[in-house]
Order: sequence, then structure tokens, then C-alpha cells
Amino acid sequence: MVEPARLRAEALNVGFNRVPVLRELSFDVPDGKTTVIVGPNACGKSTLLRSLARLERVGAGTVILDGKSIQKQSSKSVAKRLAILPQTPTAPEGLRVKDLVARGRTPHQSPLRQWSVDDARAIEQALHMTGLTDSANRALDTLSGGQRQRAWIAMALAQNTDILLLDEPTTYLDLTHQIELLTLVQKLNQETGRTVAMVLHDINLAARFADQIVALKDGKVRHQGTPDQVVTADIMQDIFDLPCTVIRSPVHDHPLVIPA
Amino acid sequence: MMTQGSLRIGRFSVLLHRRGIVVAGVLLALVFAIAILAVQLGRYPMALPQILATLSGGGDAIAEMIVLDNRLPRILTAIGAGAAFGFAGAMFQTMLRNPLASPDVIGFSAGASCGALMGMMAFGSTFVLPGALIGGLLTAFAVLALSWHRGIQPYRLILIGIGASLTLSALADLMMSRLDMLTAAEMAKWLVGTLNARNWTDVIMIWIGLLILVPIALWLQFALSRLAMEDDIATGLGVALSPARLAVTVTGVALVALAVSVVGPLPFVAFISGPIARRLVKGARPALLAAATVGALITLLADTAARAMPVVQLPAGVFTAVIGAPVLMWLLVVQFNKGKI
Repeated sequence: MVEPARLRAEALNVGFNRVPVLRELSFDVPDGKTTVIVGPNACGKSTLLRSLARLERVGAGTVILDGKSIQKQSSKSVAKRLAILPQTPTAPEGLRVKDLVARGRTPHQSPLRQWSVDDARAIEQALHMTGLTDSANRALDTLSGGQRQRAWIAMALAQNTDILLLDEPTTYLDLTHQIELLTLVQKLNQETGRTVAMVLHDINLAARFADQIVALKDGKVRHQGTPDQVVTADIMQDIFDLPCTVIRSPVHDHPLVIPA
Repeated sequence: MMTQGSLRIGRFSVLLHRRGIVVAGVLLALVFAIAILAVQLGRYPMALPQILATLSGGGDAIAEMIVLDNRLPRILTAIGAGAAFGFAGAMFQTMLRNPLASPDVIGFSAGASCGALMGMMAFGSTFVLPGALIGGLLTAFAVLALSWHRGIQPYRLILIGIGASLTLSALADLMMSRLDMLTAAEMAKWLVGTLNARNWTDVIMIWIGLLILVPIALWLQFALSRLAMEDDIATGLGVALSPARLAVTVTGVALVALAVSVVGPLPFVAFISGPIARRLVKGARPALLAAATVGALITLLADTAARAMPVVQLPAGVFTAVIGAPVLMWLLVVQFNKGKI
């Protein structure tokens, strides 16, 4: 028997001002894999990711984390297992990198237990993995966009959760930094076994970095599978209304979309 | 260089920020020094030996009256009330993520003084504190509810808060017009914020209040530094937003109500303490202790200046307003340029 996924959406309905965004959406986040959610603008991909992280008010249906409704679990207990990095986060002025990363330890702390050896170790590791050890004392607002985004990832890493959700982590980054960031995420998934789910705009980057792609349209999961299964000319036409040719990347072994 | 350390007692550990503690310590020493100076100053200047003799019970009756019944309670009240304003200001500014969102700018102080006035007029002077507490809480919840729209909206919050402040001031004026001349004149002074004729009842009230509320405020500092992040991030880190905000609001309003009931709504003390403390402490953490000591220092200085004025005794609030109003304008310009309001 296959174990059910630790994080999953069951018949989820989410709407804003009575306009439905997600309709009866059911979806399992495969454990230990990197899943990328794609789809046209306003298809609900960001809403889905945020709902999975209990950041949206869910109308009907549930998000299940470890067998129980996420809304019925304490936020702190959820935060020990699931970390979310929202789209284009901002921090208070003057916050230093290591202070930001230290914030990631919050669910493991309390007003009376504000610091432990584990905290120090987790922060050091997160800084090391993201290559920010040397910038630890710099203020976040003095970093470049790519470094800043890595600092946020480091915060989520320090949280030390099994599941990591990223909402368009490559927004506002140039191509070099997009690749650098996604390579880092891939490394995290492969080296630490973390479950990663993220929203990406670029279908070619999704095809390269995902184990599984979920394609949304009109608030529903329309297609789901490996990049090879999902990134086809027919499905791209269906999801994005985009006539295109799909070839094989000559460098990395994945499908590549060439818009017509 | 180490900028923070931790204090560990058994299973418990607290993060200590070196600079914050040093700043608070230096400010506290400054408060102490000015307090010593302030006991000597006044219409009857007294030398330190004479004061020390009076304190140990060896002074004459006049010296005793001046030091024990007049200057000492006044100074101790100023320090306590200033600290309460400083705490409350920094708490709301941190929680609402805007230096303009301090209780004296967005109407909470005005609500507390209106409530105090009503309590006093309806039930007598014992109802000043409960009145201030109720008035402050009602205003805080009303202003926050009216300005809330999918989270904190700085622009709405500040405009609605300033509107509430003006409305409540008008309401206070209206209530005063129903008082006889003499009481109204006294009340008017109180509404500007004054430390004239404070006695030991005031001292005991403010310091017992602080004894209860300061540990709660320091406890909340942990949650506050997370509330200073965006809502989504704080939630992601496992902070239960609504209970944390409720606790901060109630504690902050209680501090404001406490201070308002002993010295009136001293303008701008809560407002300028936080930003000054932050510049001294540096970094992006809520420097509650430093803000409290800045508040105590400003209030004590303002009251000492008020006492030192020849002929007329001006209320201390006039002096804090003179310092605070330009800071308000400056911060408005800065925040506006940054696109934060």
C-alpha cells in the first residue's frame, strides 16, 4: 500500500470576494520530490501554494498535513514541519542577514527559550548552504536581489522543516540568478531530502528542475506528471493557448518549449 | 565582534542584545543624574547635603515639604509615566510597522484621556484609571477595525487615527464646557499633560502598574519582533497573529491609560521615544527597554524645564509638544518619500 502524501489538498475551494479561484481542487504534494506548479496568470497557482501553507482562508475542502486538517493544528506546530516563502517578501529596515535567518528558528523557540545550541547550528548551516556566511553581518537592504532571495531561503532553511514551499522564488531575478537559485533549491531537495513545492512562471525552468509538474487552469489541476509527460505541445496549447514546438534540451535531458 | 549573547538558566534562555542593554544602562544613568539635579532645582533651590539630610529625616519642615511632598513624587511620576509612554509607543510602532503609528498620533491617548475625563465627571476621581483604560481600548479597537483591510493599511491607519484623535479632543473640549471655570481650567492643564502637584498616590499607581505591565511587555517582545515582519512571514514562522496582536494592543493601551491617568496625554513622548531608541540601539529589533528609558528621560527633562520657567508654571506637555511636533513632520516627510504611507 502506498502511504498517502504528508501534504495534500482535498476538494479545495478558495475564493476572493465571492469569485472562486480554486474549484474542488485535489492534489498531493509528493514526499521528497520537487514539484513545480505552473499555469497561466490568475489560474490560482499562487493561491494553491498559499492555501497549502495555511495563508489563505479556505472556503470548503481541507488541506491535510500529516493526516490532520492544517487549520486545526497550531500554527507553531505546523511551522516546525512546513516552511513557506511568500512572493517578494520584505523585511524591516536595517535587519541583518543573520538576524533574518535567526527568525527562521521561531517555531523552535519561545519567550523563555530564545536561544539554543540547535539554533546556532541550524543558522550556521543555512548560511553555509546558501553561501551567505561571509555576508551574515550585512543589512538585508544592502544586498543584491539574488543574495537577498538566498537570505530568505536561508531563513526558511533554518526553520528546519521537511516541507519547503516557495512562491515564485525567481521573480525579479535575472537569468543567472534564477538558475543559481533553482540549483540551490535542487541541491536542498537532493542533499537533505526535503519535499519542495514551488510556483514558477518559466515552463522551461520548470521542466529542468522539477521531478513533477502540476499544470493548473481555471482553478483546477488540468495535468500532472513528470516533465516529459506534461511538457508536450498539446498540453501547452491546452494550458497556455500557446502554439509551440517541444524539443529536447541538447544540454540537460528535459523537454524545451519553443513558442511558435 | 559579538553583538548578542544569551543568558541561560537551566532550560530557560533569553537573548540579550549587548548594544540595547548598554544604551538602556547609559540612559538610565542619565535619568538618575537629571533626577538628582531636578530635586535641587526649583523656586527654592536646595543643595544636595540639605536634600540628603531631609531624606534621612533630619531636615526642617519646609525642606521636608518641598522635597518629600513636592519634588520627589513629581520626579518619580515623570520617570514612571515617561517609561510607560515609551514602552507603549515602541510596542505599537513595531506591531503596526510604522513609526507614525504611535498611540499619541493615532488617537489611543486621546481616547484614554476622554475616557478618564468621563470617568472622573461621572463617578469621581477614583474612576480615572478605569475610564482611561476603557476609553483607550475602545478607541484602539475602533481605529484598528476601521483601518484594517486584509492586514495593516498604514495610510488608512494613520489618517483614521489622526481623525479619531481630533474627534476625541473635540469631545473632551465639549465635556469641559459643562464644568465650572475653576475645574475646567485645571482639567485643561491636565489635558495638555502636566506634572504639577503630583503626590505619592500617583507615584504608587504608576510604579505598581509598571511592575505588572513591564514583564508582560518584555514577554511580548519575542512575538513583537516577529509581528514586525509581514503577516504571511510571521504566520509561516508559526506566530498566531490575532492572539499576539490582541495581547500587544491590550498591554500597550494599559500602559498608555496608566500614564494618561497620572500625567494626562503628554503629547509625543510615546511617539518620539521609539525612533530615538532605535537610532541609538541600531538594527531592526523592537528596543522596548531603550524606548522606555528615552521616554522617561524626555518626560523628566520636559518637566524640569517646565518647573524652571520663571513666573508661570507651564504644563510639561507644552515642552514635549515643542520637541515632538517637528519630529512628527520630519517622519511624515521621510515615510512619504519612502512610499510607506
